[in-house]
Amino acid sequence: MDIFTLIFWVITLVWLGFSLKKDKSKTLKAIKMSGGMMKGIAGDILGILLLIGLILTFVPPETIKATIGQANEIVSTVLFALLGSITLIPAFVAFPLVASLVDAGASIVPIVAFLTTLTMVGVVTFPLEKREFGLKFTLIRNSLSFAFALVIALAMGVIL
Amino acid sequence: MTFLKSQLKNNRFLMIVILAYVAVGIFAPEKFLPSLGNTWYYVKEMLMIMPVILLLTSLISAWVPKETIENAFGKNSGLKGSLFAFLLGSFSAGPIYAAFPVCKMLLSKGASIANIVIILSTWAVIKIPMLITESKFLGPEFMLVRWILTTLAIFLMGYITSRFVKPADLPADDEAAATLDGPLAVNADYCVGCGLCAKIAPSHFKMVDKKATVISQTLSPGDDLAIKDAVAKCPAKIIQFYR
Repeated sequence: MDIFTLIFWVITLVWLGFSLKKDKSKTLKAIKMSGGMMKGIAGDILGILLLIGLILTFVPPETIKATIGQANEIVSTVLFALLGSITLIPAFVAFPLVASLVDAGASIVPIVAFLTTLTMVGVVTFPLEKREFGLKFTLIRNSLSFAFALVIALAMGVIL
Repeated sequence: MTFLKSQLKNNRFLMIVILAYVAVGIFAPEKFLPSLGNTWYYVKEMLMIMPVILLLTSLISAWVPKETIENAFGKNSGLKGSLFAFLLGSFSAGPIYAAFPVCKMLLSKGASIANIVIILSTWAVIKIPMLITESKFLGPEFMLVRWILTTLAIFLMGYITSRFVKPADLPADDEAAATLDGPLAVNADYCVGCGLCAKIAPSHFKMVDKKATVISQTLSPGDDLAIKDAVAKCPAKIIQFYR
């Protein structure tokens, strides 16, 4: 276990200890709620992890490197940003997926674009958002998010 | 049998992947075990982080005073309002669409357009449980740099959107127009499927296809308390209770 995960474990466990001491039933109820949410996506998580296994076995890292590697970075970044916009999977599930791509040698720029649009731009949820906030708000918010996802991705490429 | 059926329906994606594995086992058996081996590595990583995320999400929902934060949004809350918007988004759980009803409620309380954009974006991309998962899989440096850049972008986006969109551009509340067949209503479009309402008030709510559904509109004496509790605990604030 790396140091960061360890720190999170310690903070969480200490907090949990205090929480249980202060209000046991409130704490347990909250855990039940989160557990329910987690159970809802557990099948999807397992599915994605199994899919990653298949992809890594059948698609050699060299192919991944060549497809989302250094070549054609702008094009692959825009493509990944588009892919992220139309996909609706919990980010929780997306992290191991993109980590497997990075481990296989993919460039981080398209990966960051994908991660950002995945959660911030919602083509699937567009009708819902439009109903609540109107067309103008939804259009502007989603377009801005898409544009900034590209900016963030390119900036990450320069910094890291 | 019906249990099996609903399980199949709820985990369609998992079933497809399992079928793919069966196909691999038949047609390319030499790739079967390596695939499982590759999966196992990521399963281990996931198991290390999942309990922490689960507990932390619970602790946040139990102890972060959402009501206090929500009450801090006024018409002229200025920079303080934006900061609270950022905090509210950071300490949240659930997908972005779960934030829609919460934001709608805040708008009616006088929150600004800029702050709504800040909540939605923060909620979507940089909430705390997500940052932990990100740091685990992609490294703390990656997470930190992305967090800084995204935070800057979010405040800019809030400002830009508020220059173009005015409160008059938003649709008026249509809640009153909704047809009601009783005192209870659930906006299932935004249900995150936590099942809490069905646990707190099982005689009135049931989970159908991972979404909360009202099963009874009749109120017996004493039901009030449980229903009110369910309304308050609902993480997406989608239960309406008219008395």
